Amino acid sequence: MSQKLDFGSADDKTLVKAAQKGGMQAFEELVARHRDKIYGRAFSMMRNEEDAIDLSQEAWVKAWQRLKQFQGEASFVTWMTRIVINLCLDQLRKQKRLRAESIEQIDEESGGVERQMPVVTPNPTERLERGELRQRIDEALARLSHEHRTVLIMHEFEELEYKEIARRMQCSIGTVMSRLFYARRKMAVLLAGLKREELR
Amino acid sequence: MINHATELKLQAYLDGELPPGEAKAIADLLQSDAGAQGLYHELKAAKSLLAGNELERQLPESREFYWSKIQRQIERVESTQAGGLAEPATPRWWTRFLAPAGVLAALAVIVAVALLSPEDGGTFLSLDDSHEIETPLEETSSFSFRSEAAAMTVVWVDSHRE
Repeated sequence: MSQKLDFGSADDKTLVKAAQKGGMQAFEELVARHRDKIYGRAFSMMRNEEDAIDLSQEAWVKAWQRLKQFQGEASFVTWMTRIVINLCLDQLRKQKRLRAESIEQIDEESGGVERQMPVVTPNPTERLERGELRQRIDEALARLSHEHRTVLIMHEFEELEYKEIARRMQCSIGTVMSRLFYARRKMAVLLAGLKREELR
Repeated sequence: MINHATELKLQAYLDGELPPGEAKAIADLLQSDAGAQGLYHELKAAKSLLAGNELERQLPESREFYWSKIQRQIERVESTQAGGLAEPATPRWWTRFLAPAGVLAALAVIVAVALLSPEDGGTFLSLDDSHEIETPLEETSSFSFRSEAAAMTVVWVDSHRE
């Protein structure tokens, strides 16, 4: 005797299995469940609402097409996040917001402003509520270049290794390390409350 | 002041991405170099501040509207793929004769024109039993048109021809 699936209370694995068999309703439930997270990741990378909506939507369509390839090694939401990240990277490359590796290396290896910055220890947690802290981190992220922000998001929020980031960003591990270093130093300064002018 | 390569090694040490052999050297450096220590703590503070502190965002569209767009796109993509994967339509049987028939028709026209050309060098074309166009002398550049049905003859002479 077959039981009707209660989509609202079913876990992701069950929904994914149902969707893999063509169950559109199960897939809709997955979209509803994770749409904010996927949109949020697209927004953090693109910093633009319209792009983020379009790319997150495209990610769901791609996910539906590739659903049979999902074997469950990672969680469904992790798998989805990887899809939207790749789409964002493609879009940034198309918009030429990700600079060529060689140009960036010349710029960064020549020193860069971050190398001149004094060491700071950001500790805004003492006086900020969690919500405020998150807001402030987001504002600081918005002030980074696309290259620095992207590498930071992939390393700190998605917990990807250098090698994996390099593969996705189509650059060398050395470039990833360098971008991550400067991104962290900028974030440290921004979060320590230094004025913008001091970064330039 | 430590060089950039060492700075990156400090960071890799923090991220647990340094090979064990090099990790020992960096651990020793951190014990002895105040500058390296300061930088290491800055990187570590930035890392730990970010961990788990990403701003959560809400999609600025309703569930129904967002899903309807995705569903439409899925249907569009699937119908395109289905169209692309379909067998190409089999050509109708008679289409295979089009090319040879075209060649034969062209040959027939050439032969007919050759056979109908008058020996006196004038150009003569018969349209049907009741219509004729005649150019008796090419050098005079005149044309005549006669219609038996209309009982009419029209002659056109070009006097400016060189």
